[in-house]
Amino acid sequence: MNQYREITENGLWKQNSGLVQLLGLCPTLAMTVSLVNGFSLGLMTALVMAASNASVSPIRRLVPTEIRIPVYILIVAALVTLIDLLMHAYFHSLHAVLGIFIPLIVTNCIVLARVEAFAAKNPVVPSALDGFMMGFGLALVLAVLGGVREIIGKGTLLSGIDLALGASAKAWVITVLPDYHGFLLAILPPGAFIGLALLIASKNWLESRKQAAQPMTPSPAAAH
Amino acid sequence: MKFSPFFTTNTSVSVVMLKVMLALVPGIIAYVWAFGYGIVVSLILASATALLAEAAVLQLRKRPVMPFLLDGSALVTAWLLALALPPLAPWWLVVVGTLFAIIIAKHLYGGLGQNPFNPAMIGYAVLLISFPAIMTQWPAPLELTSAKLSFVDQWHYIFNRALPTGIGLDAMSSATPLDYLKTQLMLHHPIETIAQAKFFGTFAGKGADIVAGAYLLGGLYLLHQRVISWHIPTAFLVTLALISGVFHLVNPAQFASPLFHLFGGATMLCAFFIATDPVSGATTPNGKLIFAAGIALLTWLIRTYGGYPDGVAFAVLLMNIFVPLIDANTQPRVFGHSK
Amino acid sequence: MSEPQNIWKHAISTAGVMIAFSVLGTIVLAYVFLTTKAPIAEAEREAKLKLLEQVLPASLHDNDLLKDTLPIAAGGELNNREATLAYRARLQGKPSAVILETIAPDGYSGDIKLLIAVKADGEIAGVRVLAHRETPGLGDYIDIAHGDWIKKNFDGQSLAKTVDDQWKVKKDGGSFDYMAGATITPRAVVKATHKALQYYAAHQQEIFASSELGAN
Repeated sequence: MNQYREITENGLWKQNSGLVQLLGLCPTLAMTVSLVNGFSLGLMTALVMAASNASVSPIRRLVPTEIRIPVYILIVAALVTLIDLLMHAYFHSLHAVLGIFIPLIVTNCIVLARVEAFAAKNPVVPSALDGFMMGFGLALVLAVLGGVREIIGKGTLLSGIDLALGASAKAWVITVLPDYHGFLLAILPPGAFIGLALLIASKNWLESRKQAAQPMTPSPAAAH
Repeated sequence: MKFSPFFTTNTSVSVVMLKVMLALVPGIIAYVWAFGYGIVVSLILASATALLAEAAVLQLRKRPVMPFLLDGSALVTAWLLALALPPLAPWWLVVVGTLFAIIIAKHLYGGLGQNPFNPAMIGYAVLLISFPAIMTQWPAPLELTSAKLSFVDQWHYIFNRALPTGIGLDAMSSATPLDYLKTQLMLHHPIETIAQAKFFGTFAGKGADIVAGAYLLGGLYLLHQRVISWHIPTAFLVTLALISGVFHLVNPAQFASPLFHLFGGATMLCAFFIATDPVSGATTPNGKLIFAAGIALLTWLIRTYGGYPDGVAFAVLLMNIFVPLIDANTQPRVFGHSK
Repeated sequence: MSEPQNIWKHAISTAGVMIAFSVLGTIVLAYVFLTTKAPIAEAEREAKLKLLEQVLPASLHDNDLLKDTLPIAAGGELNNREATLAYRARLQGKPSAVILETIAPDGYSGDIKLLIAVKADGEIAGVRVLAHRETPGLGDYIDIAHGDWIKKNFDGQSLAKTVDDQWKVKKDGGSFDYMAGATITPRAVVKATHKALQYYAAHQQEIFASSELGAN
């Protein structure tokens, strides 16, 4: 049980791929113009990661070391294509918005990194959990970054939710700042860099405050 | 005042900054003459915002507030930004730009002396890409417009976006000459025809060329006082004149004259006050020449082919990126050491 | 391991594993591709129809717009840079409207692709921008996602309502709105729409009758 807790903590906070490992920055920067965009791409990534970790783990002793990378890539690419096709068929409008960034999940280094670093050495269930939690941690970062950029840039929240959940969800869109002119910088690429930098800074600040609060007790995770 | 030891270390900075501000005064006077008092409101707004932001951040960073505040660097940033903005910009535009310049471009990178990018130009670039409609809308020079706004009217416009009854936005605003040139060229009008437009003055935009001349005057004072060295202004102006001159000679209908480039837009302000920023610019003599020539080249390219009318801000920021590289490769050889 | 025989054995088994995974991946993907083929085609169709519906109300046609199309060659009177399509709408067999794809070549930063629906009587049912690269925050108000300029200015317009020399933005002495600081973009859209209306007026019969429009 303890192991699962640690995997979850690592994925969501301690080793968060968006804020700590800084892997997978391409979608982080490009797709976070709104909360819905950011979170849906993050969720796709989490699904791909869970599935690829779960499929690599059982075959980890079957694959000779020399060709493990090509085989892993093959598995990840097949899974991504599969998700791409399914989304194209059943979530067409969301697929149109995320566009090229769905197939690009293949090249997201966080996917291969977790396959190689975790799934290739661990049993199926922890591997799947690790993949999902790492991806979900990224999804949360994308959601927060997307949400902040959306509020500052357009003054709304959850715009585009109808693309994911159908036209009836359009009523969920929140206008946070009515009569807002919009601060375009937040939506444009520089806003992504500045936003991510501020998020990383806030995480580091939270950590350092936590450390300052309990200066002498060495945490059990420190040995790790 | 007892701020020692800090005060002594900062004296040189504040004297330099004071001279820079003094050198800007002729430009500001010309500006008021050409476009009215609105610019003074912008300057005051930007200065107040800059000082407050600087003090707040210094406090947060647990640095001594007063000595750094009195060094004047924040004020210079504020003035340069205000002078680069359209003079009747709404108050919040000035405030947002200044906050960005001081907090993000200056202090998040470590404060005075540490910022890799020119803070005033970051503020300008942020505003330009975020609010292009407001940033490209300039008031018509007073000489030309029948809709003369009094100081109170301009004040009202800056704070409430309200014009006196009977005066439409079209009557008091105009495109900038650089903008007009670009849009007209796109419609395949030759430059001779375009330059007939009433807001073209002797060299460039009417009124604006006088302001540019006044900046040049202030710049010469800075050179005389040895606040800045000759390298950057000379390399910048000569390169810009050369490249625009060559293209103008080849096809005068399509490419604006060197005089237009030298006295139009923010050229003069950039040559003596912006590119010469000692923190974000190159420091070696040869490096300064390369740095300034690069800015001139990029400015001309962006003005001629880019999506935004003036290119000075982007040119300066892009060359700021190259500064470490330029400096590292242009270190003067120490005597007795071979390269 | 150093014996040649073992090296061969190892190489072959490695290749075998690689091939096995390739085949397995291919089978899975082929299966998914085949099963999603129909839903994807259907989804694309729906998306296209939804787009056409934005400019042409569903009540104006009972035929399948996507099947009743007419290629318009590049160049010609519309002067499109590339070949485009005209979608013909019919109500109980009678022509009710046509949707023209056109390209305004003179935007501030390149081509602006437009969808223009003209009712049989020459009145505009709607205009939408399909693709553009205008400056964000400045020229992009022509896009329905950034403002209703395009609705306000074109819905219900026609050559009869606005005479030829009024098809300009107000700044140029015409009757179409623009936003200060961005006149090139609306100018391009107004010009392209005007041209499309003239094209329709001149070729109305051909459009509904013929099976192909040349660059005449």
